[in-house]
Amino acid sequence: MDFFLGIWDAIDKALIRENRYEFYLSGIGNTLLISLFAVILGFLIGAFVAVVKQLCAGRRGIGWIAKICDLYVFVIRGTPVLVQLLLINAVLFNYRGANAIVAAVMCFGINSGAYVAEIVRAGIESIDKGQTEAGRSLGLGAGQTMWLIVLPQAIKNILPALGNEFIVLVKETSIAGYIAVTDITKAAQYVGSKTYDLITPLLIAAAFYLILVFILTKLQKLLERRLGKSDRR
Amino acid sequence: MIDVKDLKKSFGDLNVLNGINEHIYKGEKVVIIGPSGSGKSTFLRCLNLMEKPTSGSICVEGEYITDRKANVNLIRRKMGMVFQHFNLFPHLTIKKNITLAPVKLGLMTKEEADAEAMRLLERVGLADKADAYPPQLSGGQKQRIAIVRALAMKPDVMLFDEPTSALDPEMVGEVLDLMKQLADDGMTMVVVTHEMGFAREVASRVMFMSDGQIVEQGPPDEFFANPKNPRLKDFLSKVL
Repeated sequence: MDFFLGIWDAIDKALIRENRYEFYLSGIGNTLLISLFAVILGFLIGAFVAVVKQLCAGRRGIGWIAKICDLYVFVIRGTPVLVQLLLINAVLFNYRGANAIVAAVMCFGINSGAYVAEIVRAGIESIDKGQTEAGRSLGLGAGQTMWLIVLPQAIKNILPALGNEFIVLVKETSIAGYIAVTDITKAAQYVGSKTYDLITPLLIAAAFYLILVFILTKLQKLLERRLGKSDRR
Repeated sequence: MIDVKDLKKSFGDLNVLNGINEHIYKGEKVVIIGPSGSGKSTFLRCLNLMEKPTSGSICVEGEYITDRKANVNLIRRKMGMVFQHFNLFPHLTIKKNITLAPVKLGLMTKEEADAEAMRLLERVGLADKADAYPPQLSGGQKQRIAIVRALAMKPDVMLFDEPTSALDPEMVGEVLDLMKQLADDGMTMVVVTHEMGFAREVASRVMFMSDGQIVEQGPPDEFFANPKNPRLKDFLSKVL
Protein backbone atom coordinates (compact mmCIF):
# COMPACT_ATOMS: atom_id res chain seq x y z
CA MET A 1 0.00 0.00 0.00
CA ASP A 2 2.79 2.35 0.85
CA PHE A 3 4.30 1.55 -2.50
CA PHE A 4 1.21 2.68 -4.42
CA LEU A 5 0.84 5.75 -2.28
CA GLY A 6 4.45 6.56 -3.10
CA ILE A 7 3.74 6.29 -6.81
CA TRP A 8 0.64 8.43 -6.49
CA ASP A 9 2.56 11.02 -4.58
CA ALA A 10 5.28 11.11 -7.23
CA ILE A 11 2.72 11.54 -10.01
CA ASP A 12 0.86 14.13 -8.02
CA LYS A 13 4.05 16.06 -7.45
CA ALA A 14 5.23 15.76 -11.05
CA LEU A 15 1.94 16.45 -12.78
CA ILE A 16 -0.75 18.05 -10.71
CA ARG A 17 0.62 20.13 -7.87
CA GLU A 18 1.05 23.81 -8.68
CA ASN A 19 -0.63 23.14 -12.04
CA ARG A 20 2.56 21.56 -13.36
CA TYR A 21 0.64 19.78 -16.16
CA GLU A 22 0.65 23.16 -17.88
CA PHE A 23 4.37 22.79 -18.51
CA TYR A 24 3.79 19.46 -20.18
CA LEU A 25 0.95 20.83 -22.26
CA SER A 26 3.02 23.66 -23.65
CA GLY A 27 5.89 21.21 -24.18
CA ILE A 28 3.58 18.84 -26.04
CA GLY A 29 2.36 21.76 -28.11
CA ASN A 30 5.89 22.67 -29.14
CA THR A 31 6.89 19.07 -29.85
CA LEU A 32 3.82 18.58 -32.04
CA LEU A 33 4.38 21.90 -33.79
CA ILE A 34 8.03 21.18 -34.57
CA SER A 35 7.33 17.57 -35.58
CA LEU A 36 4.45 18.44 -37.87
CA PHE A 37 6.19 21.20 -39.78
CA ALA A 38 9.52 19.36 -39.85
CA VAL A 39 7.83 16.26 -41.32
CA ILE A 40 6.14 18.37 -44.00
CA LEU A 41 9.32 20.30 -44.77
CA GLY A 42 11.42 17.12 -44.73
CA PHE A 43 9.07 15.34 -47.12
CA LEU A 44 8.91 18.27 -49.53
CA ILE A 45 12.68 18.74 -49.53
CA GLY A 46 13.33 15.00 -49.81
CA ALA A 47 10.89 14.40 -52.65
CA PHE A 48 12.10 17.49 -54.48
CA VAL A 49 15.77 16.56 -54.15
CA ALA A 50 15.17 12.95 -55.22
CA VAL A 51 13.12 13.92 -58.27
CA VAL A 52 15.46 16.69 -59.36
CA LYS A 53 18.41 14.35 -58.97
CA GLN A 54 16.68 11.65 -60.99
CA LEU A 55 15.74 14.01 -63.80
CA CYS A 56 19.08 15.84 -63.95
CA ALA A 57 21.60 13.07 -63.40
CA GLY A 58 23.81 12.38 -66.39
CA ARG A 59 22.15 15.01 -68.59
CA ARG A 60 24.33 17.44 -70.43
CA GLY A 61 24.25 20.97 -69.01
CA ILE A 62 22.20 20.22 -65.90
CA GLY A 63 24.18 17.32 -64.48
CA TRP A 64 25.74 19.61 -61.87
CA ILE A 65 22.34 20.07 -60.22
CA ALA A 66 22.37 16.37 -59.36
CA LYS A 67 25.85 16.84 -57.91
CA ILE A 68 24.56 19.57 -55.59
CA CYS A 69 21.80 17.22 -54.42
CA ASP A 70 24.43 14.58 -53.69
CA LEU A 71 26.46 17.09 -51.72
CA TYR A 72 23.43 18.05 -49.63
CA VAL A 73 22.72 14.43 -48.74
CA PHE A 74 26.40 13.80 -48.02
CA VAL A 75 26.81 16.75 -45.66
CA ILE A 76 23.54 16.28 -43.79
CA ARG A 77 23.95 12.55 -43.33
CA GLY A 78 27.59 12.96 -42.40
CA THR A 79 27.12 15.40 -39.51
CA PRO A 80 25.28 14.96 -36.20
CA VAL A 81 21.82 16.46 -36.02
CA LEU A 82 22.69 18.18 -32.76
CA VAL A 83 25.55 20.05 -34.41
CA GLN A 84 23.25 21.03 -37.25
CA LEU A 85 20.67 22.25 -34.76
CA LEU A 86 23.14 24.41 -32.86
CA LEU A 87 24.60 25.71 -36.10
CA ILE A 88 21.31 26.66 -37.69
CA ASN A 89 20.18 28.27 -34.48
CA ALA A 90 23.40 30.24 -34.22
CA VAL A 91 23.13 31.43 -37.81
CA LEU A 92 19.48 32.40 -37.53
CA PHE A 93 19.99 34.01 -34.14
CA ASN A 94 22.98 36.02 -35.31
CA TYR A 95 21.33 37.42 -38.37
CA ARG A 96 17.70 37.74 -37.50
CA GLY A 97 17.15 36.94 -33.88
CA ALA A 98 14.50 34.50 -35.11
CA ASN A 99 12.75 32.35 -32.57
CA ALA A 100 14.11 28.97 -31.66
CA ILE A 101 11.08 27.03 -32.85
CA VAL A 102 11.65 28.25 -36.40
CA ALA A 103 15.27 27.18 -36.14
CA ALA A 104 14.21 23.75 -34.85
CA VAL A 105 11.67 23.25 -37.65
CA MET A 106 14.25 24.23 -40.25
CA CYS A 107 16.94 22.03 -38.78
CA PHE A 108 14.80 18.92 -38.44
CA GLY A 109 13.16 19.53 -41.82
CA ILE A 110 16.47 19.93 -43.63
CA ASN A 111 17.93 16.98 -41.75
CA SER A 112 15.01 14.68 -42.47
CA GLY A 113 14.98 15.84 -46.10
CA ALA A 114 18.33 14.17 -46.75
CA TYR A 115 17.08 10.83 -45.47
CA VAL A 116 13.73 11.16 -47.23
CA ALA A 117 15.58 11.98 -50.45
CA GLU A 118 17.42 8.67 -50.29
CA ILE A 119 14.22 6.80 -49.47
CA VAL A 120 12.36 8.41 -52.36
CA ARG A 121 15.27 7.73 -54.70
CA ALA A 122 15.14 4.07 -53.78
CA GLY A 123 11.39 4.18 -54.40
CA ILE A 124 11.80 5.73 -57.83
CA GLU A 125 14.43 3.17 -58.76
CA SER A 126 12.17 0.34 -57.62
CA ILE A 127 9.70 1.22 -60.39
CA ASP A 128 10.22 -0.69 -63.63
CA LYS A 129 11.81 1.37 -66.41
CA GLY A 130 8.97 0.23 -68.64
CA GLN A 131 6.62 2.53 -66.73
CA THR A 132 8.69 5.56 -67.67
CA GLU A 133 8.98 4.32 -71.24
CA ALA A 134 5.24 3.80 -71.52
CA GLY A 135 4.57 7.29 -70.22
CA ARG A 136 7.09 8.87 -72.53
CA SER A 137 5.87 6.85 -75.52
CA LEU A 138 2.46 8.45 -75.06
CA GLY A 139 4.02 11.88 -75.42
CA LEU A 140 4.08 12.80 -71.73
CA GLY A 141 7.13 14.82 -70.69
CA ALA A 142 9.77 13.56 -68.28
CA GLY A 143 8.33 15.62 -65.42
CA GLN A 144 4.73 14.60 -66.13
CA THR A 145 5.72 10.95 -66.33
CA MET A 146 7.54 11.24 -63.02
CA TRP A 147 4.65 13.02 -61.32
CA LEU A 148 1.72 11.05 -62.73
CA ILE A 149 3.17 7.58 -63.15
CA VAL A 150 6.41 6.91 -61.30
CA LEU A 151 6.01 8.87 -58.05
CA PRO A 152 2.56 7.58 -57.06
CA GLN A 153 3.83 4.01 -57.37
CA ALA A 154 7.13 4.85 -55.69
CA ILE A 155 5.46 6.50 -52.70
CA LYS A 156 3.32 3.42 -52.19
CA ASN A 157 6.41 1.20 -52.11
CA ILE A 158 8.32 3.39 -49.67
CA LEU A 159 5.51 4.09 -47.22
CA PRO A 160 6.94 1.79 -44.53
CA ALA A 161 10.37 3.40 -44.81
CA LEU A 162 8.87 6.89 -44.80
CA GLY A 163 6.81 6.07 -41.72
CA ASN A 164 9.96 4.88 -40.04
CA GLU A 165 11.79 8.08 -40.92
CA PHE A 166 8.99 10.25 -39.54
CA ILE A 167 8.90 8.29 -36.30
CA VAL A 168 12.64 8.79 -35.91
CA LEU A 169 12.17 12.48 -36.65
CA VAL A 170 9.48 12.94 -34.01
CA LYS A 171 11.74 11.42 -31.39
CA GLU A 172 14.73 13.41 -32.62
CA THR A 173 12.93 16.64 -31.80
CA SER A 174 13.62 15.81 -28.15
CA ILE A 175 16.99 17.53 -28.54
CA ALA A 176 15.29 20.85 -29.31
CA GLY A 177 15.84 21.72 -25.63
CA TYR A 178 19.45 22.44 -26.51
CA ILE A 179 18.42 25.65 -28.22
CA ALA A 180 16.06 26.65 -25.44
CA VAL A 181 12.85 25.37 -26.99
CA THR A 182 10.54 24.06 -24.28
CA ASP A 183 9.48 20.80 -25.86
CA ILE A 184 8.05 17.93 -23.85
CA THR A 185 11.49 16.62 -22.86
CA LYS A 186 12.64 20.04 -21.71
CA ALA A 187 9.37 20.54 -19.82
CA ALA A 188 9.91 17.24 -18.02
CA GLN A 189 13.43 18.25 -17.05
CA TYR A 190 12.16 21.57 -15.79
CA VAL A 191 9.52 19.99 -13.60
CA GLY A 192 12.09 17.50 -12.35
CA SER A 193 14.44 20.24 -11.30
CA LYS A 194 11.67 21.80 -9.22
CA THR A 195 10.52 18.63 -7.48
CA TYR A 196 13.92 16.97 -7.12
CA ASP A 197 12.43 13.91 -8.87
CA LEU A 198 13.55 13.63 -12.48
CA ILE A 199 12.38 10.07 -13.06
CA THR A 200 8.62 10.58 -12.93
CA PRO A 201 8.48 13.55 -15.32
CA LEU A 202 10.77 11.79 -17.79
CA LEU A 203 8.57 8.70 -17.68
CA ILE A 204 5.59 10.92 -18.39
CA ALA A 205 7.46 12.42 -21.36
CA ALA A 206 8.41 8.96 -22.59
CA ALA A 207 4.77 7.85 -22.37
CA PHE A 208 3.79 10.83 -24.46
CA TYR A 209 6.29 9.94 -27.21
CA LEU A 210 5.01 6.39 -27.11
CA ILE A 211 1.42 7.52 -27.65
CA LEU A 212 2.47 9.86 -30.46
CA VAL A 213 4.40 7.13 -32.26
CA PHE A 214 1.50 4.75 -31.76
CA ILE A 215 -0.83 7.20 -33.49
CA LEU A 216 1.67 7.70 -36.32
CA THR A 217 1.97 3.96 -36.82
CA LYS A 218 -1.81 3.66 -37.03
CA LEU A 219 -1.96 6.48 -39.57
CA GLN A 220 0.73 4.81 -41.64
CA LYS A 221 -1.13 1.50 -41.67
CA LEU A 222 -4.30 3.30 -42.71
CA LEU A 223 -2.54 5.04 -45.57
CA GLU A 224 -0.89 1.81 -46.70
CA ARG A 225 -4.27 0.15 -46.88
CA ARG A 226 -5.77 3.05 -48.84
CA LEU A 227 -2.95 3.10 -51.38
CA GLY A 228 -2.90 -0.68 -51.66
CA LYS A 229 -6.36 -0.59 -53.25
CA SER A 230 -5.10 -1.39 -56.74
CA ASP A 231 -3.23 -4.45 -55.48
CA ARG A 232 -6.41 -6.31 -54.67
CA ARG A 233 -6.98 -8.95 -57.23
CA MET B 1 6.21 8.60 -93.92
CA ILE B 2 9.20 7.41 -91.93
CA ASP B 3 12.54 7.87 -93.60
CA VAL B 4 15.62 6.37 -91.98
CA LYS B 5 19.08 7.28 -93.22
CA ASP B 6 22.30 5.61 -92.20
CA LEU B 7 21.00 4.90 -88.69
CA LYS B 8 23.65 3.68 -86.28
CA LYS B 9 23.38 2.83 -82.63
CA SER B 10 25.97 1.51 -80.28
CA PHE B 11 25.92 0.75 -76.58
CA GLY B 12 29.46 1.39 -75.47
CA ASP B 13 31.66 -0.74 -77.71
CA LEU B 14 28.79 -2.85 -78.94
CA ASN B 15 27.46 -1.81 -82.35
CA VAL B 16 23.82 -2.77 -82.42
CA LEU B 17 22.74 -1.00 -85.59
CA ASN B 18 25.23 -0.71 -88.42
CA GLY B 19 23.82 1.84 -90.81
CA ILE B 20 20.18 1.27 -91.68
CA ASN B 21 18.56 2.97 -94.67
CA GLU B 22 14.86 2.39 -94.97
CA HIS B 23 11.60 4.02 -95.89
CA ILE B 24 8.25 3.10 -94.43
CA TYR B 25 5.24 4.32 -96.39
CA LYS B 26 1.85 5.32 -95.10
CA GLY B 27 -0.47 2.34 -94.62
CA GLU B 28 2.34 -0.20 -94.77
CA LYS B 29 2.49 -3.09 -92.34
CA VAL B 30 6.15 -3.82 -91.88
CA VAL B 31 7.09 -6.91 -89.90
CA ILE B 32 10.66 -7.22 -88.67
CA ILE B 33 12.03 -10.64 -87.82
CA GLY B 34 15.46 -11.88 -86.90
CA PRO B 35 17.43 -13.71 -84.22
CA SER B 36 17.88 -12.26 -80.73
CA GLY B 37 20.50 -9.56 -80.60
CA SER B 38 20.10 -8.71 -84.25
CA GLY B 39 19.01 -5.18 -83.37
CA LYS B 40 15.35 -5.37 -84.39
CA SER B 41 13.98 -4.03 -81.10
CA THR B 42 16.64 -1.34 -81.00
CA PHE B 43 15.72 -0.30 -84.53
CA LEU B 44 12.05 -0.06 -83.58
CA ARG B 45 12.84 1.86 -80.38
CA CYS B 46 14.96 4.32 -82.34
CA LEU B 47 11.94 5.22 -84.47
CA ASN B 48 10.27 7.07 -81.58
CA LEU B 49 13.55 7.90 -79.87
CA MET B 50 13.11 5.51 -76.96
CA GLU B 51 16.73 4.86 -77.84
CA LYS B 52 18.80 7.80 -78.96
CA PRO B 53 20.56 6.98 -82.24
CA THR B 54 24.34 7.32 -82.19
CA SER B 55 24.30 8.75 -85.70
CA GLY B 56 22.12 8.97 -88.75
CA SER B 57 18.77 10.63 -89.26
CA ILE B 58 15.12 9.71 -88.92
CA CYS B 59 12.46 11.78 -90.60
CA VAL B 60 8.81 11.31 -89.65
CA GLU B 61 6.25 13.01 -91.87
CA GLY B 62 8.76 15.57 -93.06
CA GLU B 63 10.15 16.32 -89.61
CA TYR B 64 13.66 15.35 -88.64
CA ILE B 65 13.15 13.86 -85.20
CA THR B 66 16.85 13.23 -84.74
CA ASP B 67 17.36 16.96 -84.99
CA ARG B 68 18.45 18.45 -81.68
CA LYS B 69 15.68 21.02 -81.68
CA ALA B 70 12.93 18.52 -82.49
CA ASN B 71 10.18 18.28 -79.89
CA VAL B 72 10.33 14.60 -78.96
CA ASN B 73 7.09 14.67 -76.99
CA LEU B 74 5.07 16.06 -79.88
CA ILE B 75 6.51 13.44 -82.23
CA ARG B 76 5.73 10.58 -79.86
CA ARG B 77 2.07 11.59 -79.69
CA LYS B 78 1.76 10.54 -83.30
CA MET B 79 3.58 7.24 -82.77
CA GLY B 80 1.87 4.71 -80.56
CA MET B 81 4.03 2.05 -78.98
CA VAL B 82 3.14 -1.35 -77.58
CA PHE B 83 5.67 -3.11 -75.37
CA GLN B 84 6.51 -6.73 -74.74
CA HIS B 85 5.66 -6.37 -71.05
CA PHE B 86 2.52 -4.25 -71.58
CA ASN B 87 3.67 -1.56 -69.12
CA LEU B 88 0.17 -0.64 -68.02
CA PHE B 89 0.10 1.75 -65.08
CA PRO B 90 -0.82 -0.55 -62.18
CA HIS B 91 -1.97 2.24 -59.86
CA LEU B 92 -4.63 3.49 -62.28
CA THR B 93 -7.89 1.94 -63.43
CA ILE B 94 -8.09 0.67 -67.00
CA LYS B 95 -10.11 3.69 -68.04
CA LYS B 96 -7.63 6.05 -66.38
CA ASN B 97 -4.75 4.23 -68.10
CA ILE B 98 -6.35 5.05 -71.44
CA THR B 99 -7.44 8.62 -70.74
CA LEU B 100 -4.39 9.81 -68.79
CA ALA B 101 -2.25 11.02 -71.68
CA PRO B 102 -4.97 12.58 -73.88
CA VAL B 103 -6.40 14.50 -70.91
CA LYS B 104 -3.10 15.59 -69.34
CA LEU B 105 -1.78 16.72 -72.70
CA GLY B 106 -4.91 18.77 -73.26
CA LEU B 107 -5.95 16.92 -76.41
CA MET B 108 -9.36 15.98 -75.06
CA THR B 109 -11.57 16.98 -72.17
CA LYS B 110 -12.12 14.35 -69.52
CA GLU B 111 -15.61 13.64 -70.89
CA GLU B 112 -14.40 13.25 -74.47
CA ALA B 113 -11.57 10.99 -73.36
CA ASP B 114 -13.90 8.86 -71.23
CA ALA B 115 -16.29 8.45 -74.15
CA GLU B 116 -13.43 7.58 -76.50
CA ALA B 117 -12.01 5.11 -73.98
CA MET B 118 -15.37 3.38 -73.62
CA ARG B 119 -15.78 3.26 -77.40
CA LEU B 120 -12.37 1.63 -77.79
CA LEU B 121 -12.96 -0.75 -74.86
CA GLU B 122 -16.31 -1.70 -76.40
CA ARG B 123 -14.50 -2.49 -79.62
CA VAL B 124 -12.01 -4.86 -77.98
CA GLY B 125 -14.72 -6.38 -75.82
CA LEU B 126 -13.31 -5.22 -72.49
CA ALA B 127 -15.82 -2.52 -71.57
CA ASP B 128 -16.67 -4.39 -68.36
CA LYS B 129 -13.07 -3.94 -67.19
CA ALA B 130 -13.13 -0.14 -67.34
CA ASP B 131 -12.97 0.27 -63.57
CA ALA B 132 -10.71 -2.68 -62.86
CA TYR B 133 -6.99 -2.33 -62.14
CA PRO B 134 -4.31 -3.87 -64.40
CA PRO B 135 -3.20 -6.57 -61.92
CA GLN B 136 -6.72 -8.03 -62.15
CA LEU B 137 -6.38 -8.71 -65.89
CA SER B 138 -4.91 -11.61 -67.85
CA GLY B 139 -1.87 -11.07 -70.04
CA GLY B 140 -3.86 -11.01 -73.24
CA GLN B 141 -6.30 -8.51 -71.79
CA LYS B 142 -3.45 -6.32 -70.58
CA GLN B 143 -1.86 -6.23 -74.00
CA ARG B 144 -5.18 -5.38 -75.67
CA ILE B 145 -5.59 -2.53 -73.17
CA ALA B 146 -2.04 -1.40 -73.93
CA ILE B 147 -2.94 -1.26 -77.62
CA VAL B 148 -6.11 0.67 -76.83
CA ARG B 149 -4.13 3.07 -74.66
CA ALA B 150 -1.82 3.83 -77.58
CA LEU B 151 -4.79 4.16 -79.95
CA ALA B 152 -6.47 6.72 -77.70
CA MET B 153 -3.78 9.19 -78.76
CA LYS B 154 -4.98 8.73 -82.36
CA PRO B 155 -1.49 7.93 -83.64
CA ASP B 156 -0.50 7.87 -87.31
CA VAL B 157 1.73 4.86 -86.85
CA MET B 158 1.86 2.04 -84.33
CA LEU B 159 5.10 0.41 -83.22
CA PHE B 160 4.88 -3.08 -81.71
CA ASP B 161 7.86 -4.43 -79.80
CA GLU B 162 7.33 -8.20 -79.55
CA PRO B 163 3.76 -7.74 -78.36
CA THR B 164 3.03 -11.43 -77.87
CA SER B 165 6.35 -12.69 -76.55
CA ALA B 166 5.40 -12.43 -72.88
CA LEU B 167 1.98 -14.02 -73.30
CA ASP B 168 0.75 -17.49 -72.50
CA PRO B 169 0.22 -19.34 -75.77
CA GLU B 170 -3.57 -19.38 -75.50
CA MET B 171 -3.65 -15.59 -75.26
CA VAL B 172 -1.52 -14.84 -78.29
CA GLY B 173 -4.50 -15.21 -80.64
CA GLU B 174 -6.64 -12.46 -79.10
CA VAL B 175 -3.82 -9.93 -79.36
CA LEU B 176 -2.93 -10.89 -82.93
CA ASP B 177 -6.60 -10.68 -83.90
CA LEU B 178 -6.77 -7.11 -82.61
CA MET B 179 -3.60 -6.26 -84.51
CA LYS B 180 -5.10 -7.73 -87.67
CA GLN B 181 -8.20 -5.57 -87.22
CA LEU B 182 -5.96 -2.54 -86.89
CA ALA B 183 -4.11 -3.51 -90.03
CA ASP B 184 -7.40 -3.90 -91.89
CA ASP B 185 -8.39 -0.40 -90.78
CA GLY B 186 -5.37 0.91 -92.65
CA MET B 187 -3.12 1.74 -89.69
CA THR B 188 0.56 2.07 -90.52
CA MET B 189 2.30 -0.56 -88.43
CA VAL B 190 5.85 -1.61 -87.68
CA VAL B 191 5.93 -4.90 -85.81
CA VAL B 192 8.85 -6.74 -84.30
CA THR B 193 7.69 -10.28 -83.70
CA HIS B 194 8.44 -13.97 -83.75
CA GLU B 195 4.95 -14.81 -85.02
CA MET B 196 5.68 -16.00 -88.55
CA GLY B 197 2.00 -16.72 -89.17
CA PHE B 198 1.16 -13.10 -88.48
CA ALA B 199 3.97 -11.93 -90.74
CA ARG B 200 2.73 -14.11 -93.57
CA GLU B 201 -0.88 -13.09 -93.19
CA VAL B 202 -0.77 -9.39 -92.33
CA ALA B 203 2.57 -7.95 -93.45
CA SER B 204 2.85 -5.93 -96.61
CA ARG B 205 6.60 -6.25 -96.24
CA VAL B 206 8.78 -8.49 -94.13
CA MET B 207 12.30 -7.52 -93.11
CA PHE B 208 14.99 -9.83 -91.83
CA MET B 209 17.58 -8.27 -89.58
CA SER B 210 20.91 -9.76 -88.65
CA ASP B 211 23.93 -8.16 -87.00
CA GLY B 212 22.41 -4.71 -87.01
CA GLN B 213 21.50 -4.66 -90.67
CA ILE B 214 18.48 -5.40 -92.80
CA VAL B 215 19.85 -8.22 -94.90
CA GLU B 216 16.74 -9.18 -96.82
CA GLN B 217 13.19 -7.92 -97.27
CA GLY B 218 10.19 -8.37 -99.51
CA PRO B 219 6.50 -9.18 -99.67
CA PRO B 220 5.73 -12.15 -97.42
CA ASP B 221 4.92 -14.70 -100.16
CA GLU B 222 8.21 -14.17 -101.92
CA PHE B 223 10.11 -13.69 -98.66
CA PHE B 224 9.07 -16.98 -97.08
CA ALA B 225 8.95 -19.07 -100.28
CA ASN B 226 12.26 -17.98 -101.78
CA PRO B 227 14.68 -16.73 -99.17
CA LYS B 228 17.98 -15.85 -100.77
CA ASN B 229 20.27 -14.84 -97.95
CA PRO B 230 21.90 -17.88 -96.32
CA ARG B 231 21.39 -16.48 -92.84
CA LEU B 232 17.70 -15.97 -93.52
CA LYS B 233 17.43 -19.53 -94.88
CA ASP B 234 19.09 -20.79 -91.74
CA PHE B 235 16.81 -18.70 -89.52
CA LEU B 236 13.64 -19.76 -91.30
CA SER B 237 14.62 -23.41 -91.20
CA LYS B 238 14.83 -23.09 -87.42
CA VAL B 239 11.62 -21.20 -86.75
CA LEU B 240 9.23 -22.60 -89.35
